[in-house]
Amino acid sequence: MLAYIVRRLLLLIPMAAGMVIVTFGLLLLIPGDPASVLLGQEASPEAIQNLRNALGLNDPWYIRLGAYFAHLLQGDMGRSIFQNQAVSEIIAGRLGATVELAVVALILACLIGVTLGVIAATRQGSIIDTAAMVFAQLGVSMPVYWLGLLLMLLFAVTLGWLPSIGRGVPFPKAFLAAFSGRPGVLLDSFSHILLPAFALAANSAAIISRLVRTAMLEVLREDFVRTAYAKGLRRKRVIVRHALRNALLPVLSVIGLRFGALLGGAVLTESIFAWPGLGQLTITAISQRDLPLIQGIVLTFAIIFALVNLVVDLLYAVVDPRIRLG
Amino acid sequence: MSKALSVTAAFLLAGLSFTALSTAEAATVTIGTDVDAGTLDPRLARDTTAYRATDLLYSGLVHLTPSLEAKPDLAASWETPNPTTWIFKLRPNLKFSDGSPLTAADVVFTFTTILNKDFNAPMRALYTPISAVEAVDPQTVKFTLSAPYAPLLSYLDIGIVSKALVEGGADMALKPVGAGPLKLSSWTRGSAIEMEINPNYWGEKPKADKVSLKIIGDGSARAQAFEAGDLDIIQSPLAPQDVKRLAADKRFGNVVQAGLGVTYINFNVKDPLLASPKMRKAFSMLIDQKTIVEDIFQGVDEVASSVILPSSWAYSKDIKQPGFDVEGAKALFKEEGWSDTNGDGILDKGGKPLTVTLSTHSEDSNRVQSIEFMQATFQAAGVDAKTQITDWPSFSTNYVQKSQHQIALLGWLNIVDPDRLLFGQLSTGGPTNWGGYSNPAVDETLKQGRSATTQADRTKAYQTAAKILADDLPYYIVSDQGYQLFYSKKLPFEVQATSRGNMRGMIGLKD
Repeated sequence: MLAYIVRRLLLLIPMAAGMVIVTFGLLLLIPGDPASVLLGQEASPEAIQNLRNALGLNDPWYIRLGAYFAHLLQGDMGRSIFQNQAVSEIIAGRLGATVELAVVALILACLIGVTLGVIAATRQGSIIDTAAMVFAQLGVSMPVYWLGLLLMLLFAVTLGWLPSIGRGVPFPKAFLAAFSGRPGVLLDSFSHILLPAFALAANSAAIISRLVRTAMLEVLREDFVRTAYAKGLRRKRVIVRHALRNALLPVLSVIGLRFGALLGGAVLTESIFAWPGLGQLTITAISQRDLPLIQGIVLTFAIIFALVNLVVDLLYAVVDPRIRLG
Repeated sequence: MSKALSVTAAFLLAGLSFTALSTAEAATVTIGTDVDAGTLDPRLARDTTAYRATDLLYSGLVHLTPSLEAKPDLAASWETPNPTTWIFKLRPNLKFSDGSPLTAADVVFTFTTILNKDFNAPMRALYTPISAVEAVDPQTVKFTLSAPYAPLLSYLDIGIVSKALVEGGADMALKPVGAGPLKLSSWTRGSAIEMEINPNYWGEKPKADKVSLKIIGDGSARAQAFEAGDLDIIQSPLAPQDVKRLAADKRFGNVVQAGLGVTYINFNVKDPLLASPKMRKAFSMLIDQKTIVEDIFQGVDEVASSVILPSSWAYSKDIKQPGFDVEGAKALFKEEGWSDTNGDGILDKGGKPLTVTLSTHSEDSNRVQSIEFMQATFQAAGVDAKTQITDWPSFSTNYVQKSQHQIALLGWLNIVDPDRLLFGQLSTGGPTNWGGYSNPAVDETLKQGRSATTQADRTKAYQTAAKILADDLPYYIVSDQGYQLFYSKKLPFEVQATSRGNMRGMIGLKD
């Protein structure tokens, strides 16, 4: 098991290098010059050239790429052209917010998706089943920014129940505050994350609910389920202990992949809800052609995604005793 | 299940009471904005949020009133013994927000760094006529100009930074220290800039104790956050459809006034098709300004008539660009030899169809719609119009700034002086003359406009230039941008708008 983990972690290195090269290539191909964006419309061509030289943008691509790798090996992701701050510092400051949003959204998506899927499967053909699948259809087809605006309109503007924008105190700190007798802080963080997390979760919840439904329908027809009923077990126990555990296996791999989708969806959700995470930063960095920052963000996303998939693979072994990793 | 429900309900209720509590703090003003500041160093500011935030955190020698008159700020008074010398007297006992003294040396340092090529200040070009800036004594600064330069005063509102702090390694971009009415308390990048009262400010105290600038990139989300009470003030840029809804809401106050920007057509006069003023005039006559302004911009902007803003002292209503006139345009095309000889509905000359590319950038959906609408009117008049729409970095750097365009729709902002829209843009060889326009008569009048010392002489020069340009048409000004501000009537003080969107008037000061 340990050897497996080490091997997978080592594989991260060529993957990350590949990511850097692909991103670098794409950034070379897309038109637009950070120096010109930085200096604005009123800058003279000389001023733009001067800044390009200072930023090293006039060096040939292989020298720039080589220099980037050389710095990366020393743990240095470069400096953001626009924020004039170390890329690693900027990302570290934002990462927490995005991970928090994605994790809460993933939990929500799993809770909603699995619950709906199980209910729909156990009452196949009923109104509840139809309603759950209509929800799933809506969830899959609604773009996240559209849903985000609708949620904001209903819960923040019309009902006034939840704040429309921004983030409360980060959850780890908020929990500490709650334990030291200030539950208001935690509630505030919770009220801020609900809308963006739900908007982000809807699509994944819908996909998961469909999958769980299909998997459950299949498992419920298996012999061991009949056996379990025959043993005289109660329906609830059969569904949760016997059927669901087996149905979750294919779902697990999708949940891992959904985490990647959630990180991607965070890009739009964050800019709607003014959530100060990596997603919002990505949009800004691309629109400004802030090359080192874009590189850093893509690399960070890629590593997170790879790590999450590693965790999912490890979880397989836990859920399915037939799988042995080594 | 019921337990889970009641816990959720309790959370929701608690969240509700908490948000209600946070808006009840009277002296905090929360202002929505569209982009985060790139920097809080006024010398490097290049986006609207940076301009607006640094105007609160720093003070300049002068402050521009909403009517764009320069009034004393850090400088108590100034004189011009001759047209190329400006002498500023600072107020006594000025201090930065950290308590350190502000003297003439700081003013000299600020402008010396801006003028240093390697510092890469975006607005450097506005200050290049300054040949020397020196401290006569700790309270007196002398500017020497290479030639008379009347617009200078309008640009001296840029914030003064502390020489000692910057030379000591402090980073003004992230940890600003200025002599403005507010100082920075915290800055969460991409989310909020929090400010509080600067006790060392020389002038009147703002009525707001705390000011929070919340960054919400999406325009509709920003409008909704305002309606939900999470923001006290929002301002341009706003989507026209949001403006109508907010204006009808009795909870909000509303200011609509002329802005300081234009949306215009940039003709590439180096392009053989557009080299003749007659052709440019014909294309201009195909632009239905009224429909663009009223239906696409939904009346937020105004139909423009010349390169001088209606709010400017140099404006004259007698100077007019050609208006929308399809038949007139067709007649001009005919004079230039373009007619539909093969009956395919497209004008042609020498066997070649009249083809032209209209371009703009994708960030502004109103501009995209305008270009698409123009394409339709062009085609109806027999012009085979194509469109090219790309994002701003591609559009600006690789296209317009390299004179690759034919007819491009874009804008200029912050036109605090007519010089700012004309000199760099339409003088022969000017740094932002992307269309390659050259007319010695215009060069001469623009130079006069810069160097004349009385406003009457300057007005005359700019009106002469505007008249020539309304015929020559290297630029066709489509609309004069409007400016809107919405504020909650619950704010305990009066809100005053400026067309630049500056915010001293939003924190209880008189701007």
